[in-house]
Amino acid sequence: MLKNYIKIAFRNLWKDKSFTLLNVLGLSIAFAASLLLGMYALFDLSYDQFHKNKEDLFQVYYAEQKPGGQEVATSMPVPFAPALQQELPNIKHISRYISDHALNLEAGKELDLNLIFVDPDFFQMFSFETVLGTKEVLKDNAQISITEETAQKLFGKTEALGETLDLLINGRREVFTVGSILKDPPVTSGLRFDVAVNFSHSPNYTENLDRWDSRNHSVFIQLNEDATASDITQSAVSFTDLHYKGNIEDLKRDGAQPNANGNYLELHLLPFKDIHFADFKGHSLKVSRAYPYMILGIGLLILCIAGINFVNMSIARSAQRLREIGMRKTLGAAKKQLFFQFWSESVWVFMIALLLGIGISMALESSFRQLFNTPATLSHLSSPVLIGVLVGSFVVITFIAGGYPALVLSKLGTLKALKGKLDLAGKNRVRNTLMVVQFSIAIVLISGTLVLKKQLDFMRNKDLGFNKTQVVAVPLNGKRANRQDVALLRNELAGKPGILSVTASDNNLGLGKDGSTYFSRMGFDYKGRGVHTNMLVVDYDYPETLGLQLKEGRTFSRSYSGDSLSIVINEAMARELQEKDPVNKQIILDDSIKYTIVGVLKDYNFQSLNKKIEPISLFMKSDWDLYYAFVKVAPQNMAQTFESIEDAWKRIEPNAEFLGSFLDENIDRTFKRERTMTTIITSGSLIAIILSCIGLFAISMLVVTQRTKEIGVRKVVGASVAQITFLLTKDFVKLVGIAFLIAAPVAWWLLSQWLQDYEYRIELQLWIFLAAGLLAVFIALVTISFRTIRAALKNPVESLRTE
Amino acid sequence: MLLQLNHIYKWVKQGGKRVFLLNDISLDVEEGEFISIMGPSGSGKSTLLNVIGMLDEFQEGEYMFLDESVHTLKEKHRSKLYKEYIGFVFQAYHLIDELTVYENIETPLLYKNIKSSERKALVADMLDRFNIVGKKDLFPAQLSGGQQQLVGIARALIAKPKLILADEPTGNLNSKQGEEIMELFKELNQEGVTIIQATHSESNAAYGNRIIHLLDGSKQHQASN
Ligand SMILES: Nc1ncnc2c1ncn2[C@@H]1O[C@H](COP(=O)(O)OP(=O)(O)O)[C@@H](O)[C@H]1O
Ligand SMILES: [Mg+2]
Repeated sequence: MLKNYIKIAFRNLWKDKSFTLLNVLGLSIAFAASLLLGMYALFDLSYDQFHKNKEDLFQVYYAEQKPGGQEVATSMPVPFAPALQQELPNIKHISRYISDHALNLEAGKELDLNLIFVDPDFFQMFSFETVLGTKEVLKDNAQISITEETAQKLFGKTEALGETLDLLINGRREVFTVGSILKDPPVTSGLRFDVAVNFSHSPNYTENLDRWDSRNHSVFIQLNEDATASDITQSAVSFTDLHYKGNIEDLKRDGAQPNANGNYLELHLLPFKDIHFADFKGHSLKVSRAYPYMILGIGLLILCIAGINFVNMSIARSAQRLREIGMRKTLGAAKKQLFFQFWSESVWVFMIALLLGIGISMALESSFRQLFNTPATLSHLSSPVLIGVLVGSFVVITFIAGGYPALVLSKLGTLKALKGKLDLAGKNRVRNTLMVVQFSIAIVLISGTLVLKKQLDFMRNKDLGFNKTQVVAVPLNGKRANRQDVALLRNELAGKPGILSVTASDNNLGLGKDGSTYFSRMGFDYKGRGVHTNMLVVDYDYPETLGLQLKEGRTFSRSYSGDSLSIVINEAMARELQEKDPVNKQIILDDSIKYTIVGVLKDYNFQSLNKKIEPISLFMKSDWDLYYAFVKVAPQNMAQTFESIEDAWKRIEPNAEFLGSFLDENIDRTFKRERTMTTIITSGSLIAIILSCIGLFAISMLVVTQRTKEIGVRKVVGASVAQITFLLTKDFVKLVGIAFLIAAPVAWWLLSQWLQDYEYRIELQLWIFLAAGLLAVFIALVTISFRTIRAALKNPVESLRTE
Repeated sequence: MLLQLNHIYKWVKQGGKRVFLLNDISLDVEEGEFISIMGPSGSGKSTLLNVIGMLDEFQEGEYMFLDESVHTLKEKHRSKLYKEYIGFVFQAYHLIDELTVYENIETPLLYKNIKSSERKALVADMLDRFNIVGKKDLFPAQLSGGQQQLVGIARALIAKPKLILADEPTGNLNSKQGEEIMELFKELNQEGVTIIQATHSESNAAYGNRIIHLLDGSKQHQASN
């Protein structure tokens, strides 16, 4: 029996070569696309999920009731973690965490290393496998852990226990002994490092040992198995009342309202497995896996379109199978047997398509990874569970797409089938509905493409308030003290052609090639109110180099001697201080030093574009460190000038890598997610369009065949080519029209949701959706016209004879 | 008694009125009979054969087949019954285009779950008997009408049915081919197979040992002999 089915399946598939080809082509494209998208999405979802204790791991954060409403923050003071562990029950392990970098000073191997400061519990909590040495290594202050890759790089071998490391950390030189070797953290780890050092080596550790008002690190905890996050929040109330008394009183004084529980400051726990998906957006913490699910969704939509093609083509073609069905029934075939026969035919098509799809996805894997800038590989799909899921979804798709036509066919009455009568009206309704679904998907994806592109362009071209095209930022990753490097760079570049000015600050704009981001915020009391500001330490000429606009007053200048006590603020900060005329006003920071505001800058976007511009204050204190040099270049010969900056840096720090880049590159780098999303949705809609066209083409081919006689008769009685073409086309265009009416509101809603994430965003306009709809209509028209026009042009005598 | 129809009525509703396709048909068929159903086009011959073959329903009356009352049987049981005892031959042959001659003949056996070795023997016998061994690997489209109908009959016979229902089996054939098919039916009938055929042609009808005349769904008694 099975052999018989297989035989007839392949003969049928062969007989309808063009349909088989279109189906296999469409399905294999869809399988390949959804495999790659699935790989990307599942990879993203697997971030940080490899920790064995992940269910009990959390990051601690505050929810503070500020006068303007709730704010959340993850930065903790140094005494926090030890106190919490002592005073609260159910905390099994706790570790503070700072990510920093260090320079290996050993001659000839001057390497910049990613370094983390953590507490000894860290390796008990997180599943970073210890290959050599013990997990308790950091209990010894002088010992450190390094990864295998680092060991290989530094010592040329992975068995490096007992070797010594001479590190320059934040300008301080320290020597450590390698106490354990770790497996390299998996690519799906959000915590990345080369070297782990005891937290007591972190910057300003001893000064901050008892200070609750200076917050500079994250805290991770592991709870006892039976404890929950809300237990901790509850039991921490007395803890915060005790240790944050001053804070809470300040909040009350500033007019903050307590939250629903009557608290001004609460501790909360964010599940560690959610960290990759969490967004601390000032006011609240949002955990959202929308991004990977959206990508997964696009993959599913593509599969859906290809599946619809398959269903539609199978049903449309079934007219040719009717006699066979009727005959088989009279020969004794049961419904079940017929169903199985037709279904197995589908299975073959799907199998071939799946194999081809896997082949295509493997062939495209590396270009996909480049295009979407992801370390995900198909091997991430190869866990037994995922393979199960994939096989399962394959079976489900095959079952639905192959099963529906099989069901329709097997249920036909014997006589009806024998007479070749198919209740076409009903089948056409199903077909039309499916085509509407298909085109709706295509229109949603096309509008998504247009909107994402527009938003991305908008963000790229937005005037950020500083000159991003002419300024190069150079991370100061050399061995010398950074201020010394800046001075040397100034000297080297002075008078060089194309160099306009040189300055420095402690923070970058956008995301540099060093890949590091950080922010520094400070709160203090001003006129009896708590105010907050971002802090930026700058060198002379900073506003001038970056092209920041001065609104009032002056900027730092060499002609004023006391500028180390001057600050320059932005308009947002002036508003925060509630000062109409802030110049010459004085503020007193915690350390009771008075600073005088000497100038106000126009607001500029020093942070990402999904944030409002926050208050910022520029300091020029020579005892605070600088981390980035900025060089403004002339617009002519920028490439040459850039090279001369690189050369200058190489002369100053021959062993350090030059990581300089133009600010517009840095800004662009922060749009990685948007860029990837745009590329994905663009390719997705392209594939959706191609697949819909394949389907439409096949259906138009069948409809034209079915109506050959009608066309002939109409021509004989005098219909023109144009009239016939219109007749054949209008039904399809109507479907696309209905699809537009359904898709446009859906797309509008989805996209406006997405845009909500951006403080600076484009307005949604009707024309975007109309354009998407018109594009769909146009593509549909072109696709159908291949067949319809040919049919309309055909000599009617011919078509009548063939009937 | 092979089968018995008692006062069978079959109708369709058209504009609220009943249009009778079969009007009070009663018929007894003994094993070994060769019956010809005659009547003009549209008189209900095919409808009657389809009812006998259990492919079609009727609204009133009783139908007994080998002492089972067909009208009360479940679809599943009914299909078991005709799978076992009835073979069909159609005017338009209704061979499956995608299967070879051999495979077409084999198909009913597949649905009866007969073992492969036994199938081979049965099909080989049948090919032999109809002298079409040399054509066994051809597809229907490669055969003449008469040959296709031979294959159709071979297929109807392969499951060794008691009853063969033939709806205008020679309608698409020239007179010489038609005669050959009729001779074959006669032979089969002599071997004990019961045959009911529908036909237009007087000469074909004469092969039967009983003729039933139909007009507008009713039996015409005056013409029987
Ligand atoms: N399902 C049906 N609905 C309505 N009329 C039918 C149906 N089936 C058959 N008929 C009508 O019943 C009559 C008898 O048809 P049929 O048995 O095929 O006649 P014959 O085989 O003698 O030419 C015809 O007039 C035909 O149009
Ligand atoms: Mg008939």
